[in-house]
This record gives sequence, C-alpha cells and structure tokens, in this order.
Amino acid sequence: MAGVDNDTLQRWLRAFAASVAEQKDALTALDAAIGDADHGANMDRGMAAVVAFLDATPPADPAALFKQTGMTLVKSVGGASGPLYGTLFLRMAPATGGAGALEPDVFAKALRAGLDGVVARGKAELGDKTMVDALAPALDALDAALAAGEPLAEALRAASDAADRGRDETTPMLARKGRASYLGERSIGHQDPGATSAALLLAAAASVVADQEAA
Amino acid sequence: MTVGIVVVSHSRALAEAAVGLAGEMLQGADHADGSSSAAPRPPSVEVAAGLDDGGFGTDAVAISEALTSADQGDGVVVLMDMGSAVLSAELALELVDDDVRERVVLCPAPLVEGLVVAVVSAAGGASAAEVAAEAGDALAAKSGHLGEAVTPAAAAPVAEASVAGAGEETGTFTVRMPHGLHARPAAALVAAVRGLDADVRLRNLALDGPEVSAASMSKVATLGALQGHEVAVRAHGPDAAVAVRRLQELAEESFGETAPAAPAPTPAARGTGRPIPASPGVGIGPVRVAAPAGIMLPAPVPGSPAEQRDRLAEARATGREHLRAVRDRAAREIGEAEATIFDAQMLLLDDPDVLADADARVEAGADAAQAWADAMDAVEAALAAATDEYLRGRARDVRDVRDQVLAALGGHAETAAASDGVLVADDLTPADAAVIDPGRTAAVVLAGSSPTAHAAILLRARGVPAVVGVGSDLAARARQAGVLAVDGTTGELVVDPDESVLADFRARAAAHTARRDDALRRAHEPAVTRDGTTVLVGANVGSVDDAVAAVGADLAGLVRTEFGFLDRHDAPDVAEQEAAYRAIAEAMGGQRITLRTLDVGGDKPLDYLPMPAEANPFLGVRGLRLALARPQLLADQLEAIVRVAHDHPVDVMFPMVTTVDELTAARRALDDAVETVGRGRPELRVGIMVEVPAAALKAASFAPSVDFLSIGTNDLTQYALAAERGNEDLAALADPLDPGVLALIAATVEGAGDDVLVAVCGEVAADEQAVALLLGLGVRELSVAPAAVGVVKQAVREVDMDEARELATTALTCPDAPAVRRLVEQRSSRHP
Repeated sequence: MAGVDNDTLQRWLRAFAASVAEQKDALTALDAAIGDADHGANMDRGMAAVVAFLDATPPADPAALFKQTGMTLVKSVGGASGPLYGTLFLRMAPATGGAGALEPDVFAKALRAGLDGVVARGKAELGDKTMVDALAPALDALDAALAAGEPLAEALRAASDAADRGRDETTPMLARKGRASYLGERSIGHQDPGATSAALLLAAAASVVADQEAA
Repeated sequence: MTVGIVVVSHSRALAEAAVGLAGEMLQGADHADGSSSAAPRPPSVEVAAGLDDGGFGTDAVAISEALTSADQGDGVVVLMDMGSAVLSAELALELVDDDVRERVVLCPAPLVEGLVVAVVSAAGGASAAEVAAEAGDALAAKSGHLGEAVTPAAAAPVAEASVAGAGEETGTFTVRMPHGLHARPAAALVAAVRGLDADVRLRNLALDGPEVSAASMSKVATLGALQGHEVAVRAHGPDAAVAVRRLQELAEESFGETAPAAPAPTPAARGTGRPIPASPGVGIGPVRVAAPAGIMLPAPVPGSPAEQRDRLAEARATGREHLRAVRDRAAREIGEAEATIFDAQMLLLDDPDVLADADARVEAGADAAQAWADAMDAVEAALAAATDEYLRGRARDVRDVRDQVLAALGGHAETAAASDGVLVADDLTPADAAVIDPGRTAAVVLAGSSPTAHAAILLRARGVPAVVGVGSDLAARARQAGVLAVDGTTGELVVDPDESVLADFRARAAAHTARRDDALRRAHEPAVTRDGTTVLVGANVGSVDDAVAAVGADLAGLVRTEFGFLDRHDAPDVAEQEAAYRAIAEAMGGQRITLRTLDVGGDKPLDYLPMPAEANPFLGVRGLRLALARPQLLADQLEAIVRVAHDHPVDVMFPMVTTVDELTAARRALDDAVETVGRGRPELRVGIMVEVPAAALKAASFAPSVDFLSIGTNDLTQYALAAERGNEDLAALADPLDPGVLALIAATVEGAGDDVLVAVCGEVAADEQAVALLLGLGVRELSVAPAAVGVVKQAVREVDMDEARELATTALTCPDAPAVRRLVEQRSSRHP
C-alpha cells in the first residue's frame, strides 16, 4: 500500500517515544549546554503520556490520534516544547481530512500544516537554531521526493536524512530563540536539543513506514 | 463589570502566593464600612500553574480551562511568568470557544506587580483592555523609584529548553554615528519602539553599563553609546521580535542620521579671529551675554497629588504647544529634517521615566513645579556627567524643556534675559535661534558656528543681523565691552566704537532699514516688473498666525493643511477642518487661499495613520498616494474644503502627483465631495504640486485637467538630483538653481501652455537673486514665507522681463549650479 494507516501512525508515535526515552539523557545533556537541562526529561514525560493513552484508549482515526497526541503533549511536557510539539500535532489533525489511512501527499501536507503551526507559535525562522531547522528541510525533502514519484518510505528516508543534516547544521548557529538565545555567541558550537528531538521524530516515521512497506 | 484574571506560572506555589499578595489589596474595601454592598466585586482569579505531578511547567489545556471559568462575560486578563507560560497561554487561546477568546487579553506586565494592579483595577470595574493597560504600567513605579538600576545586566533565567520560541527576544546593534546615540537618534529609537506591544531594554555592552528602558528618552541618552559601541537589546511582549528587528534595522541606517548630527562646527567655526558675515543688516547695542536663562521656581501651590498631577499635565501640554510652534517654524524656515531635533525635546515631555519620577515626588508631597524641576534636574545631571561631549551638550535640551514647563506653571525668568542689545555667545542651538526676538536683539555675535549652520539660516530668516566665527579671543573682548557695532552684510564687528564709527554704522543701519521699510510699505501694492508684467506673490501658510503675518501677500499660495492633523491621536473631522480652513481664509481677509491636501508619508507618520516602515519614505506612500490609499481621509478633507469654498475664494492643490490617473482619481473624489455638500459647484480652482520630475516633463498631459501647476522646488530638487533634503553632506548638491532643475521648471512652463498658471512655492522663490531667473523661465506666481513677501515683491519690481528671459536662457546652458549663481550675482550687481 502507498499510504499510512492508523496503526502505522500509532507505531510511529511509539517509536518516537522509545527513541526519546533512549536519548533522554543525551537530549538533556545538549540542553544543559545551552538551555536549562530539561528537554530530555520533558519530552520523555510527554511521550510516555502519549504511549499511555495509546495503550488505554487507542483513537479511531488519524485525526483523533493527532489531536489527542497534541493535547497530551500540551498537558504533560511543561516546557516550551509542550505547546510547540502540541501545536505540531494539533495542526496535523484537521489536515488529515478525516481519512482512515493517509495517502503520502496527505501525510506530507499534514506535517507541513504542523510545521506552519510551530513557526507561527514560536515565531522562529530558519537559522534561529531551533527545531524548525530540522523540520523545515525535512519537509522540503519529503515534498521533493514525493513530487519526483518516489514511494513514501524512500521519501521519508530522504526527509529523515535532511532532518539529520539540519540538526547538525544547528551546531555553528547563533541561537535567536528561547533560553539559548541569552547565551549569545556562547550558543555557537552546540547542537540544538529541539532540532535533535525533531530529527528523532522524522527518523521514527521513516523507520515505521519502511517496516510497514516491507511487511 | 468584573473582568476575570488568570495567573499562568511555571510554579503553582509562586502563582498562589502572588494571588494571596494581590488579595491583600482588596481587603480594605470590603471592611471599611462593614459592608460591600455597592462595592465592586473582587474579580474571579484562576490559577493555571505547574504540572499535575507538582513539577515546574505550564499546561495550555489547564490554562484554557482557567480562562473559561474566569470569564463571566466581561473578559479575562492573563498574567504570565515567562517562556513557555507565554507560548502555552497563546496556545490556550486556540483551545477555548470563539466568544471567550475574543474577550481574553494576554498582558505583558511582570507577574507580581501586574497582578496586584490588575486585581485592584478589575475590582474597580475596568474593562479587560483597561486592566491590561494599567497592569502594563505597573513596572513604571518600580523603575521610577530605582532610577537607572532597574534590571541587572544578566538576563533573568527562563525555564525553557532551546526549542523555538519564548517570550523574550534579544539582539545587539552597533552604533555607527560619529556623535554616538545622541538626542536625535535616541528620539528615533524611542519613537521606533513606542506603540509596539513590547517592553524593550537596552544595555551598553562596551561600558558594561546598566540596562535601561528604550521607551525613555532620558534613559536612552544616558547609555552613553558612542560610535563603535555595541548595545544589547532585550524585549518582552507580543511585539518583542518586531522591536528587536526594528532597532537593528534602524541602527543599520544609523538611526536616520545621514550627516554629522547637530550643527557641526565647520572649519570656520573654530574661529578665524575675523568675523564672517552670516545674516545681513546692521545692529548696534549694549552687549548682552548669553547665559543659560534660568527659571525661578514658583511658590509652591498647595493641592492634592491628583490636583498637582493635573497642573503638571496642563503645563506639559502648554510646553508641548510651545515646542510644536518652534518645531513648525524650524520646519518651514530650515527644513523638516533639521526640525526633528525638536522631536527629541517633545519626547522628553512625555518620557515615562521622567513622569514616573515626577509622579513619585508628587505622591511624596511635592507640588507640581518642584516635582517636575527635581525630576528634570536628575536627568540633566545624568547627562551632564556623561563621558561624551555631545551628550553633555544635550543637557541644555533638558534644561529648555524643564524651563518651558516651569514657565507654564508660573515660574519667572531669573534674570532679565530678554534685555535689548547685541547677543554674544559661543554658539546658538537652532532652538535658541528660532526664538530670538528681532525686536529686542539688535544683532548676534557668535564665537563659533558658520554661515551655513542652522542657527545662521534661522537668524537670516528672522532678519537678525549676525556675524559668526569671530573666534574666542574677539568674543571674549566683545563680552567685556559696553557697546558693539555689527554689520552682518560685510562681516564687521567693532568693539566699543567711537563716535565716528557709530555714525557710520547708524547710517548703514538707516539705509538698510529704509530699504526694508520701503519693501514693507509697498508690500500691499501689486508686484509688477519694470516692463509691466504682474507677478502674484503669495505666502506659504501653516497656521492662522502665519496668515496674519502674511502682510501684503496677494494670496496664500500654499496652505499646509498638515497643521490640523499633526500632534493628535485621531484624524480631525469635517467640521474641525472646515473651521480651521475658514479661520485661515478669514485671516487672509478675502485673498485667495490654496489649500494643499494632506501631505504626509512614512517620514512623518501620524498616530492614526499607521504606515509600514519604508526603506525610503521620500519615495514611498506619501502625498496624494497616501490620500488615495485612504479615501475616507481625502473625502473628509475635500468636503471641508468644498464647504469653505462656498464662502471664500479657494484653490485645492494635490501634492506629489506622478500620473494623470492619480489626478483623475483625486478630481473624482472632489466631485464626490461637491455632491456630498450638495450646494452645487463652488468657484474652486484645482491644481497640483509639481515635485516629481516625471510630472514636470508630463506637464502638457496634466494641463487640460488643472487651473494651475505649483512647483515645489524643495522636493523637485531632492528628486531630480537624488540628493536628500536635510543631508548636510549633500547641501551643495541639492541646489535648486542646478540647471537640471531649471530645465524641469522650463519644461513645466512649456507644458502648461498659456491658460495654466505656473507657480513656485519652494524656498528658492524667496531667494531675491533667483526671482529674475524664475520669472525669465515663465513662472508667474511666487509663494514664500510670510516675512519674505515684501522683499520678494520689491525684487520683482526690479526685474526687466526681456533681461530675465535672456538670463534664463543662459542659465539653462550653464554646466552647474555654481555657474548659475555666478550668473545671477553678476546680474544683481548690475541692478543693486
């Protein structure tokens, strides 16, 4: 099949939760360098809450899934990543159009709507050393690959690679948003934790969709 | 009405403690008379703080629930701590019902101070917007009390990860101007952040100085930011990002400073020891040494703090009117760019830090005058202690503003500063020069300055004879003297002249006065050239006072209607405008008045006409372009003009027209106004300003649709030579006598044909030497500053049209403006 169904999307979120849990200390270490050392713990708390509701009351369709994920993150993360990741998923929900399974272009459009929400909420621009620096090139790569006729798994792989590159490119950047911006020049030389977790989100998507298509 | 309040914090303990603290404020109200029957209800305060597990954090869902329960239909004000509290509150707005959302205001006030004020304000029945505004002011009392040491330089920690977004924006800029961040750029800086919903703070990194508010003119000046210094910007609030970006852009543009800022001393100003003629005429009189004319504090007036505050507000309003008048005069007589120096003084009048300080002093029992004087003295002392010489000089601006307000509060000048005589000073600020009374000041002698300095230009405009650059030695001798004789035409200064010299100077003075009197006496006669060509000489008018001063003017050739629109928070309505134009028409005593429709743009924005910042406002949406973009504004103004035109002879003139389509649209708006008034079409002539070179070259296309073309030589010169007005570096380039500009005037006359009158209403029209040239080019109306009407008429009377046409033909072949000037000087030496 070409698209992603509700089960795959749930696996995506579980995979993201797993990699956040695994990388929790690394994310916190990155945040300790230029922030307030809570990004790993905050994201882990939020994604653990997401997994808990997936276990208890699995949503019926992707729109409900995204909405509930967003609300859960908003409630449980605590830091700025709560409203930002929360907005990402809350904006994805209506963009699914209520479909039971998402065609590749619908999935890409939903992600794009989510990114637009993040940009509007955080007022960050490309190059400000934020999660946008991973998400934006990733979604550009996703759109380009789909437009070139590549299957979704390939396209998500390209997106994940672009997110990784974007994440790496935050290292020499000067932070212009959030706590890290107080450090000014001293923020240079450190990889941005928000961009790092965002790259994990894309990597998780690429991985579960590849598994789905292999199955 | 009772507005609800929601407190958003990372910490529940912090939020609850803050609510408890604020609640203390309401207890008195309930218990004072044992009842609270008529008292307003305490507001509903909801807390959304911390995470469910007791940890630090914010939760947009919890905030949205708090919003819904705090809202009782009268709206909700949200006070937040920082970082994700702001993001979560914004997100919460998306989660509530539309009707609730519309009633919610997110308030940028500091949490504790803001909450205390908000609770009291809400209990008093204020609306959500009012509660938020009052809370937003909560910091002022504290910053006023602490003076400069408001915030430690280290940024307050915000519990946020480095993911995108937070409530704070930061950045830096580097000061590039040679004089540093002095009064004028500081005024531009304050103006740039004013009106933004952001608390913006600045810190001079080079000096490792304290952080100060960017909203405060006085505080920005005390940054002591010199050329090359790096300044850190920190902003909070919804517009924080805009504020930082705007300041950085402004710094890129050197805060609009394109030239050495103030009247910079030219080489001559260092004093050659020989006087330089700067303003023609002869003056003899006792020496008057310019000393800072202080104001004696008036006797304290008893009254409650509220009454004192009212008195101070009234005095500040009077001071503002006075400064506005000085500024308007400077704008007319020197130029808009230079007049902006007075904007800095006006900003000082409204400086929130100064006001907070004065307020605190009133609260502590001082009367209005004492509180104001002490608050301003503190600012002056801070500036006087500045490391930069230029900043120290600005202390005088503060003193001016202080004294103007004190005078309005009943203070008296300490010395007989206005005694008659010859004024001797090191230099004069434009402000000083602009208010010199020609009736009492026989002449001015300056140790420094130059004939091209603003002060000299103003002295010429005011008809006060002056010599400048006399040097410190001669100035010192002059100060010791009893009597001085000054010839500002030849550049002579005689200290304690003997009888024969006095007789000589008196004779020169008499001859000069006779010529001026002759011009004045004949001012009411028409200006007719020697060969019988009648030329209309009008006055440029920006107020009723100008119209009264326009003695002998054949018409008001340019009425700058901006006067009714500036310095206010809303546009004047039709009735107000009608009354203003009527007053001018009446002051002109039946002479025709040419009302130019509103001519503003991005370079002089109005409160009620928000305009996006333009990279080059002189090439932006201004003049008729702006009017057509704001049809209601134009419709109202045209309606007022049409109403007046039914009773007085009126022309309407549209500024900065570029295409015939624009004129057609404007004429259509005029037709609509005639219809709205409904009294038929009055006798109303229509014209345009020719300022855009393209319009000059297309004059023939405009001619069928107009009764007259009025050439605004100031802007035409600026546009034709690509040389900004007010840029002192380009002053020599921006000469209206450049043959290129003259060719555009000639093209306008040719395109106008026989039936369309061509006028000139720029400064060049008042240049006596240029009169013959303009007439030779075919101009038949000159509109000049009111005081110049008589002498320009006299200059017209000396013109022979055949010679003038020959002069014009030759001038058009000259390579440059200096060649044209030499040509007209040769001619005027033939016709002294």
